[in-house]
Amino acid sequence: MAEGSEVMSRQREAVTRSSDEVAPMLTRKPRVKESIIQGILFLCGAISILTTLGIVYELGKESWLFFGSPEVDLVEFFTTTRWQPQLLQFGIWPLVTATLLTSTIAMVVALPLGLATAIYLSEYASERARNTLKPILEVLAGIPTVVYGYFALTFMTPLLRAIFGEGTVQIFNTGSAGIVVGILIIPLVSSMSEDALHAVPNSLRQAALAVGATKFETALRVVVPAAFSGIAAAFVVAISRAVGETMIVAIAAGAGPAFTLNPFEAAETMTGHIVRISGGDLSYDSIDYNSIFAIGLLLFFMTLLLNIVSQRVVARFREVYE
Amino acid sequence: MNRQGTIIYPEGEELQAQIEARHRKGLAWRLIFAGATMVGIITLVALLYNIINQTFGFAAVENRVDPAGLARDYETRTMLQGAVLSSEDDTRLAEAVAGDPAGVSFFGYSHYQANADQLRAVAVDELLPGEAGYALERPLFLYTAAEIAMGRPEVAAFIHYYLAHADAVLAETGYFAADEAAVAATRQAWLNTLGLDALPAVDAADYSGTISIVGSSTMQPLTRRIAEMFIDDGFRGAIRLQSNGSDAGFTQLCRPGGADISQASRAMTAAEVSECRDNRLQPRVLRVAHDALTVVTSSENRFIEAVSLEQLGALFTAAERWSDLDESWPSSAIQRYVPGPGSGTLDYFADTVLGEALADLPHDALVGILRTHISRGLGRRLEREQRFYENVLVFDTVESYEAACAVSGAPAGCTAPARSQENVYDLVVQWVVQPNVVQTWSFVDSLFRRSEIAATARAEYPNAELQFRTWLTGEFITRPQAAEPEVAGVRTAILGSLWVIAITIAFSFPIGVGAAIYLEEYARPNAINRFIQTNINNLAGVPSIIYGMLGLAIFVRLLVAMTSGAAFGATDAGTTANGRTILSAGLTLGLLILPIIIINAQEAIRAVPNSLRMASYGLGGTKWQTIWSHVLPNALPGILTGTILAMSRAIGETAPLVVIGASTFITADPQSPFSKFTTLPIQIYQWTSRPQAEFRNIAGAAIIVLLALLLSLNATAVILRNRFSRKLT
Repeated sequence: MAEGSEVMSRQREAVTRSSDEVAPMLTRKPRVKESIIQGILFLCGAISILTTLGIVYELGKESWLFFGSPEVDLVEFFTTTRWQPQLLQFGIWPLVTATLLTSTIAMVVALPLGLATAIYLSEYASERARNTLKPILEVLAGIPTVVYGYFALTFMTPLLRAIFGEGTVQIFNTGSAGIVVGILIIPLVSSMSEDALHAVPNSLRQAALAVGATKFETALRVVVPAAFSGIAAAFVVAISRAVGETMIVAIAAGAGPAFTLNPFEAAETMTGHIVRISGGDLSYDSIDYNSIFAIGLLLFFMTLLLNIVSQRVVARFREVYE
Repeated sequence: MNRQGTIIYPEGEELQAQIEARHRKGLAWRLIFAGATMVGIITLVALLYNIINQTFGFAAVENRVDPAGLARDYETRTMLQGAVLSSEDDTRLAEAVAGDPAGVSFFGYSHYQANADQLRAVAVDELLPGEAGYALERPLFLYTAAEIAMGRPEVAAFIHYYLAHADAVLAETGYFAADEAAVAATRQAWLNTLGLDALPAVDAADYSGTISIVGSSTMQPLTRRIAEMFIDDGFRGAIRLQSNGSDAGFTQLCRPGGADISQASRAMTAAEVSECRDNRLQPRVLRVAHDALTVVTSSENRFIEAVSLEQLGALFTAAERWSDLDESWPSSAIQRYVPGPGSGTLDYFADTVLGEALADLPHDALVGILRTHISRGLGRRLEREQRFYENVLVFDTVESYEAACAVSGAPAGCTAPARSQENVYDLVVQWVVQPNVVQTWSFVDSLFRRSEIAATARAEYPNAELQFRTWLTGEFITRPQAAEPEVAGVRTAILGSLWVIAITIAFSFPIGVGAAIYLEEYARPNAINRFIQTNINNLAGVPSIIYGMLGLAIFVRLLVAMTSGAAFGATDAGTTANGRTILSAGLTLGLLILPIIIINAQEAIRAVPNSLRMASYGLGGTKWQTIWSHVLPNALPGILTGTILAMSRAIGETAPLVVIGASTFITADPQSPFSKFTTLPIQIYQWTSRPQAEFRNIAGAAIIVLLALLLSLNATAVILRNRFSRKLT
């Protein structure tokens, strides 16, 4: 017994000692390593903010210098129609109209084709056809834009000239560039729209079919309206992409600002102008250098606005299905 | 009730018709939708078709200098340098080789026949001179000018005498009869010049004056024999006979007041004809005899009986000892007795026997060709890019080269190893041969309109060679950039692309994944984090060219000390990059693809089931342990897929790199992140922007390389990803 009680007491002692130690272990302790890691990860996330700040600051600073220089007048910038830096004429409109022209042509090509492709893939195509067609469209989306530029210049332009006559269509023209930008954007529109169509619950389709609608009527009257927010967002993102597209227009649309709305004539877009000017010998703090930043700032705001609009569209028109 | 009554529902056949109409409409639209889907696929086909069409096809190529001629000149020079004796006078050669048992020579058969007691003819390809099919048979020519023949009756008379009597003495002087048709044709042309119907009979005694005859010594014995006969027949003047080789003979004939007749063992070249015409002399040719070029040794030579045509080439150029050619022959040095540089015999031998391709010439020979054909300034420039020899300078002086290498930012040639034979050959092609593509045809045209193309090329570019050209070749991939499309390559661009993409991934992958982890695992839904998320989504939609401008302002300009490498003490040899470096490009593209990587990584992390995290926490894992050991391994395949997508985007990006200032022309391989650079898309852009068609062709070839690079990088990444995901499951 004496032996046994001794053992017991020792055990009790052990338990009390360990619980003294365990208690502080259970409370929350600052873990230095974990905090450092969290800090580093936050910095990684914050780099994106720095990027945005960097863009806004640099574009803003150089633009400020541009508009601050005595040769440039903000009113003239937005109201006159000649852009000739050598003559110190800075009217942004020729570049903007060329951008709008190529983007509009691109949209005319990409929106109907992209949406029709999305409807076909989502509503009509068999599983097997989808599995074949989608990767091909993805390949189309993965081809570098400079290759599309080459395609526009060496294939689309000769094609247009063969159709409309060499006298009508110039070697460099916004039409060819616009069409190819449109082709480039088809996969974007179709994949975003298809995601939206796909998200529409099947019960809606079944309901429409049950009351006697044809497949086409179901698709057009029920599914497309139900997916409207996603499709609209796709359209807006596509416009933003077309406005910012650079290499195709730099190669195929022409090198020299021209105030024209004729798609068969050469005209330089905002992006094309930036590429051409910066591809030459550019000296810092010259009016040329500053001017491309002003164009860049305008471009940045245009695309930013479109992106924000697209996010708003999704948020505003989203239909939530249980 | 009333209202419902106003709606008329179709019934019976009407209903049937309506349903059918709706179905027809549905079918029509279905076809329209399917057609729209096809547009994308058709475009893809058209795109690939167009590239192939541009990359392959016929091209008409004109060389400024004939590469075969360059190679032949070099070989001729080697032959002359290795000769113990070289003379335009075959008699001297015959005498000299007769006294040298280790000697060998070649000259006209007549000189062999004249010394047949001391010489021995060597069979070539098992045939002796004079036997049918002998490889080294050649026509001999007699040249004069129409003006001389008409103004100098004694010259015309001598030529008529020559033509009438040559055949009788051919065999005794050591010649063979010329091709009858050729003799008749030249004779008829000659008679037409003089307005005669037939060869007049000539009485030598009617003529006086001095006739000077120059040129090839191969014809000398025949001409001498005829001249002796002419004088014996009573010619009252003098005949001056000089043997100084075909080249000099033509020069003297074409000089005003020069020689009257020139003998030749080769035909006049177009250049020589026009030189004659410039001096108001119309050259006239007559064919009189055939010669068999005879390879001879001394009759005391005991070992050599016969050689093949290839051995003959080596015998007079590369080989040093007899035993080099045939092991049974003695190892004594070959003593060569070679006709002089001005002789037609030498030219004929070079044309017929020698025939090394320019590309196969040794390094020294190619450097020698460069030295004789390009300016010293250009040579110096090439030498500073890369030396020709490790220890010897070809164009530059030691002082100025060392001075150039001493300063910081020294040219690349100071450190790079010496040029290889292939490299020098490329330079010779680029700067000396200068092949120039004058027109190209598309692949489809080349396949289906072949004869039409050949006819066009013949009519418009008579000097050009029509060749089926594959612009995408192994050389195209391994050669550096060049100003001429014919010799341009994409090695610099491929290396540039790989360097840039490596830096891009090294920069954006860890940061992108880090940011995704933060946003998914740590961030509480407060204002800052919401702002970060919105901001990332917006950045993904910013045009790439804006990133280029950001890179230009930040990396190229602001951080120039860092991106040019100056801050790290690295001064890249020979570059004046000023921050327009691989590092700047990589970081710019890194920023560009960062949002794509973040968004994709976020989705991958979000897809990891929460139960895994809970299980890890339940076992006492800390947050980071949970993320590192459970979340990340499971999300990795998804993260890698996103990274592959982003990488593909970065490889194809062009606009931002143009803006930050990719080099427009660069031939040296990038050596470090602080080198100047060009990338494949940049190269394609620049070539596409050129107006000449050949640049379109090489742009097409470069596009194929770019697409192949994209495909192979993607494939590698996909394989990697699959391996990772297999390990984890």
